[in-house]
Amino acid sequence: MKRFCLLILLMLPWSVRAAPDLPTLLAERLKCVVAVEYFTETETERRPSSAYGVVIDVRGTIILPAAAVDPRATPSQLKEFKVYLPGAAASAAAVYLGQDALTGWHFVRVEERWRAQLVPITRFVIEGGAVEPALAEAVWGIGLRNKDEDFMPYLLQGNVALVQNLPQRTAIAQQEVAGPGLPVFNRAGGFVGLAATSFGQTFLQFSRAERGGSPTMLINVEESSAFYVASEILPHLGRVPQSVYGRPLAWLGAYGFEPMDREVAKFLKLEAQSGAVVSEVLEGSPAEKAGMLPRDIVLAIDGQALPRFKPDRVVVSFVEREVERRQPGAGLALTVLRGAERVELNVTLGDEPKLMREAARSYYDRLGFTAREFVYGDAVARRVKAADGTGVIAHFVKANSPAFIAGLRTDDWIKEIDGVEVQTFAAATEQLAKTESDLLRAEFVLLVSRGGETAVLRVKLR
Amino acid sequence: MSRGFNQLLEAVVRIDVREAVFESGARRYSAGIGSGVILSADGLVLTNAHVVSPRAVELSITLSNLERVGATLVGWDHWTDLAVLRIDVADARRRGLKFATAEFGDSAKLFPGQTVFAVGTPHGLTRTVTRGIISNNNRYFEDSTGVGGYETGAFNTWLQTDAAINPGNSGGPLVTEAGRVVGISSRGYLGANNLGFAIPSAIAQKIVTGLVRDGAITRSTIGLVPAALQDLESFYALALNTGVLINSVAPGSPAARAGLRGGDILLAIDGVKVDGRFPEQLPPIQNLIASRPVGDRLKLTYKRGGQTAEVAVMTERLESRVGEEWALEKWGLSVRKVSRTFARENQLSSDVGVVVIGVQAGFPAEVAGLSRGDVITKINQQPVDSLEVIKAAHAAYEVQPAPTLIEAQRDRRVSLYILKP
Repeated sequence: MKRFCLLILLMLPWSVRAAPDLPTLLAERLKCVVAVEYFTETETERRPSSAYGVVIDVRGTIILPAAAVDPRATPSQLKEFKVYLPGAAASAAAVYLGQDALTGWHFVRVEERWRAQLVPITRFVIEGGAVEPALAEAVWGIGLRNKDEDFMPYLLQGNVALVQNLPQRTAIAQQEVAGPGLPVFNRAGGFVGLAATSFGQTFLQFSRAERGGSPTMLINVEESSAFYVASEILPHLGRVPQSVYGRPLAWLGAYGFEPMDREVAKFLKLEAQSGAVVSEVLEGSPAEKAGMLPRDIVLAIDGQALPRFKPDRVVVSFVEREVERRQPGAGLALTVLRGAERVELNVTLGDEPKLMREAARSYYDRLGFTAREFVYGDAVARRVKAADGTGVIAHFVKANSPAFIAGLRTDDWIKEIDGVEVQTFAAATEQLAKTESDLLRAEFVLLVSRGGETAVLRVKLR
Repeated sequence: MSRGFNQLLEAVVRIDVREAVFESGARRYSAGIGSGVILSADGLVLTNAHVVSPRAVELSITLSNLERVGATLVGWDHWTDLAVLRIDVADARRRGLKFATAEFGDSAKLFPGQTVFAVGTPHGLTRTVTRGIISNNNRYFEDSTGVGGYETGAFNTWLQTDAAINPGNSGGPLVTEAGRVVGISSRGYLGANNLGFAIPSAIAQKIVTGLVRDGAITRSTIGLVPAALQDLESFYALALNTGVLINSVAPGSPAARAGLRGGDILLAIDGVKVDGRFPEQLPPIQNLIASRPVGDRLKLTYKRGGQTAEVAVMTERLESRVGEEWALEKWGLSVRKVSRTFARENQLSSDVGVVVIGVQAGFPAEVAGLSRGDVITKINQQPVDSLEVIKAAHAAYEVQPAPTLIEAQRDRRVSLYILKP
């Protein structure tokens, strides 16, 4: 009976009564924010990181922004997740659930004993669903200090200055209104959005650089003035990854979308809409199978013309998100402009080939490097056919190790070991393990390729 | 000094060059000074390719009697950093100007420690003589952008001397006490003391003959990039002084099509054994291939792992990475033709296109968003397979300015741009 009551309570959206004062609102809402700490264990280092998260359900699920985890790290290197409440020194253990491709969120789940003291953000959703904050409306949020100050909470406030499609509906306030990944509320305490991470996306999207230049902007990494409005957040809270690798991942296989600017659109008599130029179509991809060609210009998805965005570049993430929000096996109807002709392509999305973060790796401390399995993305990066993707990649090279001194560098493609062509990852690891354990070996030889150039490296072990 | 030496001094000239440069999105001119040496009574002058290139628009030669006379380019060869000019002899004769001619000595007979003199125009100081010795007579010195952005040094070794060589000495002769030209001073190490380099006369004589006859030196290539074996013989189970390591093979080149790849050991060319144990030995091996006619068949013997195999490879014409340049001034856009070598190095799918080497601020190309390094592949939907295509589009624009659609590639990304009046 008690459990039933709780359920009822949770299903009732938070409703705006006579607006309580800000201190009361803040105290209630502190229960939906946490700090998360974890370690990244690499070959030679153990690095602590912390990020801010928001609780999304009663099972203790927490979402962290995309930038909370270094994209080069694999899930197996992420260790010892801990959750801290604002202003408290105690912590509880948590597990890492993976990253969602569409939102970029990392999901973690706190251990059971703590779940009762947390309140999901859904409790503060405005009655009747998400309402977009108006221009000039006052909004506020929470910032958290660092670990040495027990993640002490503090108040941030501002007024909405601008709301834009980037392509997610994004509000930009006059100043910082929350820590990245933390919620933003209106004056009545209703949830209006989630602060965008101030690094990465913000860096590219909010800068007004010209197409040719590189964007620069000073960045406050601990607080953010931009937030995705609630309607961009609430529909995706259920996207808890089924695996730590974030699979299933839909795959189109068109590489390097580039925006069509206003002048080009006008020239092609497409003023009312936007388009994205396909730079390359990847070998064996669903896009290739559907007949897509490099330099096709995508004009519409499922019959809907691509909308115009400001700035133009946003159309690229719009198209990418249209793929990411779908499942492998789903259809995607594309209208492309090829020369002067409009062509309809019916793509059946595939399963993303094995990613670098999923590739097998093996570290050899005495040799001084990590060998990583060659995956599809390596073939793309090196412009070779996937079938020619024998060999392994030097994923990490320890500074001043024998391999380093011999000239091996990160991302070198190892094609031969001791004159033997590397056919499989297993064969390479067997050979390297033998070399690593043979203390009498004086040297071994690697044939590596870097930027299309090959070099023979002689690694001295003694 | 000897009579020969005095005669030589009368044959050394100063060269003032005005050349077109295209880097800024417009045609601009830059001026430079170099040295040269007169080889024949009909007015042939030998100098460096980095002093006078086909970009030169005005050449003025100052004879040893300080009189000035015009000249034209006969031909250049950036690989050996040599160029041949011809003095306007008719004009010289009309004005009664006299000049001496120099004679070549045998650079193969030079020995380290031998006294040599560099004659030239360092920093514009006409007729400067400096003295030194041959420091090394077989220096390997390859530079992929050494001659005004062009490749140099792959097919020859150099004389190294401690005779002072400064900017402006370039193209002047390196001579013996008897006044015989044994080298052409070419470059010095910046920031070092007395490390100068000259092209040996044995090479220069051949190049002069070729340039006078054909206006250019044609070389062959198969796309191999060799490297010295140094002490890798034991690893490859080779006898000492056998073979040369193939460091890499240019993608799409004849050698690549024949199946050769980096890590193979080249043992012989047409049955003639090659020995590339040390870097100094690489230029002669490169030259062995380069001096074959274009389209010739070579039989290569190579070793891969424990296997030795033979393969036939057809040579193709050696091209520089640097293509022809032009400025499309109404657009504020400077371009350089994509060469086959550039396309291969940058893994482009073909040599269609021109590389943007400069844009002028506020002009249509810059406003549209084009920038240095972009490869323009199409203009108004037409593939840019020659410089003429884009020149024609520009000429049409000059007559009647209209929005022009450009397709360009940056890294691997394809974008569209509009050049707007």
